[in-house]
Amino acid sequence: MDNLNIGRHISGQFNEDLENVINHVMHMGGLVEKQLSDSLKAVYENDKELAQKVLASDYKINNLEVSIDDECTRIIAKRQPAAGDLRLIMAVIKTIADLERIGDEAEKIAQVALESFDSKQQDLLMNLDNLGRAVLQLLQQTLDAFTRMDVDAAIELHKADKNIDRNYDALMRQLMTYMMEDPRSIPSVMSVIWSARAIERIGDRCQNVCEYIIYFVKGKVVRHTSPDDM
Amino acid sequence: MISVNPDLISNEQDKLDLNNLSDEQKALDIKNLNLYYGEKQALQNISMAIPKGQVTAFIGPSGCGKSTLLRCINRMNDLVDICRIDGEINLHGENIYNKHVDVAMLRRKVGMVFQRPNPFPKTIYENVVYGLRIMGENNRRVLDEACERSLRSAALWNEVKDRLHDSALGLSGGQQQRLVIARAIAIQPEVLLLDEPTSALDPISTLTIEELINDLKKQFTVVIVTHNMQQAARVSDQTAFMYMGDLIEYSDTNTLFTTPSKKKTEDYITGRYG
Amino acid sequence: MNNWFKSGSPWVWMSAAGVTLSLISVLGLLWLIASRGLSYFWPSEIHQFELVDEFGKASTVIGEVYDRERIPVKQLNKVKLDLKPGQETIERLLVKTGNRELVSLDFRWLLVPQVVKHSQPEELVVIERRSNGNFYGYIEEVVLDGKVVSLEQLDTLLTRVNDFQEEIRELQKVDIGAINYQLERLRLKIRKHQLDGTYTADVEQDIASQTLALNAEYAELEKNLMALRDKVARDKLVLRAMGGEKVEINFETILNVTYSNKLSFIDKIGTFFKHLLGFLFDDPREANTEGGVFPAIFGTVLMVLLMTVIVAPLGVVAAIYLHEYAGKNALTKFIRIAVINLAGVPSIVYGVFGLGFFVYMVGGSLDQLFYPETLPSPTFGTPGVLWSALTLAILTLPVVIVSTEEGLARIPASMRHGSLALGATKAETLWRIIIPIASPAIMTGIILAIARAAGEVAPLMLVGVVKMAPTLPLDGNFPFLHLDRKFMHLGFHIYDVGFQSPNVEAARPLVYATALLLVTIIVSLNMTAVSIRNRLREKYRALEH
Repeated sequence: MDNLNIGRHISGQFNEDLENVINHVMHMGGLVEKQLSDSLKAVYENDKELAQKVLASDYKINNLEVSIDDECTRIIAKRQPAAGDLRLIMAVIKTIADLERIGDEAEKIAQVALESFDSKQQDLLMNLDNLGRAVLQLLQQTLDAFTRMDVDAAIELHKADKNIDRNYDALMRQLMTYMMEDPRSIPSVMSVIWSARAIERIGDRCQNVCEYIIYFVKGKVVRHTSPDDM
Repeated sequence: MISVNPDLISNEQDKLDLNNLSDEQKALDIKNLNLYYGEKQALQNISMAIPKGQVTAFIGPSGCGKSTLLRCINRMNDLVDICRIDGEINLHGENIYNKHVDVAMLRRKVGMVFQRPNPFPKTIYENVVYGLRIMGENNRRVLDEACERSLRSAALWNEVKDRLHDSALGLSGGQQQRLVIARAIAIQPEVLLLDEPTSALDPISTLTIEELINDLKKQFTVVIVTHNMQQAARVSDQTAFMYMGDLIEYSDTNTLFTTPSKKKTEDYITGRYG
Repeated sequence: MNNWFKSGSPWVWMSAAGVTLSLISVLGLLWLIASRGLSYFWPSEIHQFELVDEFGKASTVIGEVYDRERIPVKQLNKVKLDLKPGQETIERLLVKTGNRELVSLDFRWLLVPQVVKHSQPEELVVIERRSNGNFYGYIEEVVLDGKVVSLEQLDTLLTRVNDFQEEIRELQKVDIGAINYQLERLRLKIRKHQLDGTYTADVEQDIASQTLALNAEYAELEKNLMALRDKVARDKLVLRAMGGEKVEINFETILNVTYSNKLSFIDKIGTFFKHLLGFLFDDPREANTEGGVFPAIFGTVLMVLLMTVIVAPLGVVAAIYLHEYAGKNALTKFIRIAVINLAGVPSIVYGVFGLGFFVYMVGGSLDQLFYPETLPSPTFGTPGVLWSALTLAILTLPVVIVSTEEGLARIPASMRHGSLALGATKAETLWRIIIPIASPAIMTGIILAIARAAGEVAPLMLVGVVKMAPTLPLDGNFPFLHLDRKFMHLGFHIYDVGFQSPNVEAARPLVYATALLLVTIIVSLNMTAVSIRNRLREKYRALEH
């Protein structure tokens, strides 16, 4: 089912405007995804150069957010969208805010990669990488669901965030153990905690995007409700 | 500290259940209304209850029957020879299509304002009191009072109070339309029907009329037909979407314009091919 | 060339030419009748010609020059003339000589070559008279009570006589006329009582006493009248005519004495207006060829107004029924076509219809029902102003109906709906909204009707117009407006004076003057209606966009 259905407006210009917005969101999603995967890779491979590159690229995401925001404002002013169109614009505005935050989180992760870790601490990064991969997959799937406006996938993904949280909790316990065992490792562990925290936040933001998908398709606000109500 | 009135942010302002209105809440109750122009059926089995003291808008593409339905409510369709109606429209529980109903009396209870401003070529004053004069009221004091009251209600008093005895044809389009509204409310109808009241007006006059409609619903039940969806969204409490003589969807305006339940409604209000 | 055609200018030029043509015809027509008509009132000089005719006989001719023309010599081969060699035409003059008691014809042709002397002596006078036309000659003496008095007293004498004449007219027309009218009524009353079988002794006595009183009054008035007549008749004027004959003219018959050749320009203007006023407000004299046309003006205007009063409500009601109430079916269509065709029926046909239907059928029945006492002499069963007005009303009815209907059709439906939506019934809507808005169109119809009716003559000749009506349809005797009376009409007056009078030559200027007057009256009636319509239009102007 083509839930997105942005074509078929009598005004061809309106169709084009909406398509542009969606394409820009896709583009932004791609950028965010790349940033996240790069930063994770930088951490895992301790590639400082890559980390620098991630840090240097964040501005692209920020710029995109501003320009998409602008486009949405213009569409509202000029077209007074109603019903599905209105919900789409609302979903887009919120989605790009979340995507931008995900980009910020990726930046935080990349900052961790700039620090030096000894070989023993590489284990920690291993664990972090697992969590990171899971979140990266979640993000990819969320963006995919957004592209198709697939409400069933969105509900599934919304639930999938639980797993991320569980992994995060496990990782935290592990890190705590580390710190207790070796107080000297506390500074580097703290860095890892920061990035783990950032990864967990990314999961939450993906969850938000799923909520917007549901809102767009069903016109139902599912924020702050239990998953069973969806 | 900023204190927020919870009512202001609640969008669930005492929503009416349109399918289950109590008799006191109903201004008009349309039941299984069918209308034919000769062989052609223009309205198909329309049933809806129009709540009292609220603004109900009919929207839909041209020729969908929204104006026809509006004209049924004060029997203006009687003027069309080939028009035939079955079903009922109940006002105070009585079908207005009953044989013994006096059409002139009905039209005093159900006033109507048309698409183009149609002031009579008389003075402003005589325009406003026309309905009262028809009713046989000739007491100068009563007429003066009614004139001022109606013009104030129609937000026109301040603009014309110094030239009540000038020709109404000298007013601008927007003023003329408000004058026509004043004329309609001078006889204190219960229901006010507005048939695309702003389609011939400029945007600013349109906004004035919309503002006026908002005030009018305190005293009257307002039913408005409009081509302008944004207008329906702005002024109405309930919106009915009609298509090809069918009532497709009828619900409160907020719902209809954000989350319509029918695909046809969605397509229409978002401007897609039907 | 091709481009010139494409540019459209040929059409512009053609339409301009059309407009010019119609403008020239209208102005030319007006100029012609105005110049010819108005010159009738201008005092012309009196000429004295000394002639020697072909037999060597000398004579004198005094009069006004009316016309001059050139005729071919061949026409006059019996007359011996001194001609220049090669001359083929000679000029001749038409001279109005008047003096009917001496010569039988008012006019006389003079051949210019026979005139030996031509002068304009200042002592020549023209005397306008009540009968026998003008007199041209020299005043010899003024005789007052058998004694010759000086010439200076002429003016005062004339004024005095005119005052007496006015008094006599008043007595005859108003006082004696009223008594005669009442006597006639009494006679009819007797007849009515006789018919009803209620002619009792009481009634007889009552009427007899009334008759007696009236007769006494009449005798008194008659005595006054005789006295006045005597006063007027005692003075006379002795004049010398062109042949040298002495002629006595009694002051009784004199209207005016003018030394035409002595008049300055200002005096001439004064005389012009005096003549003009006389034309407008005097009664006609001498088989309509002299005097004024007041009864004709009055008759024309009264008849047109009556016609308007009849046709306006009738036409408007018919149009309203056709447009508002009648079903839109074949019958309505047929009626509409019939109405339009009615406008194309020749007017004389209406005259025949009016005579047959109104005069004989309706009028005859009315007489039998309400005026049996006057029979066999008819009251309404004879042509009269009412029947004329009715006939013309029928004639102009289509015009009013068509233009009213058009007006009704032009009213936007939103007006009707607006009123109906306020709880007005159809009749209230019609009365309060529709008819006021349609009033300019109704006025247009009435204007057209007036324009058509005022110019119609043919049907009127059958249903009420006469050459000479003794009384106006409106006078001081109850019921004041006498719709049964016959009346005079300017259009008919023109025809009568121009073609039926004994002296066609003399009447020609009068024909023009009357035509000018008729045009003026029609135009002013039209202008009044047009200005009313324009006022109404102004009121409803904003509706017509």
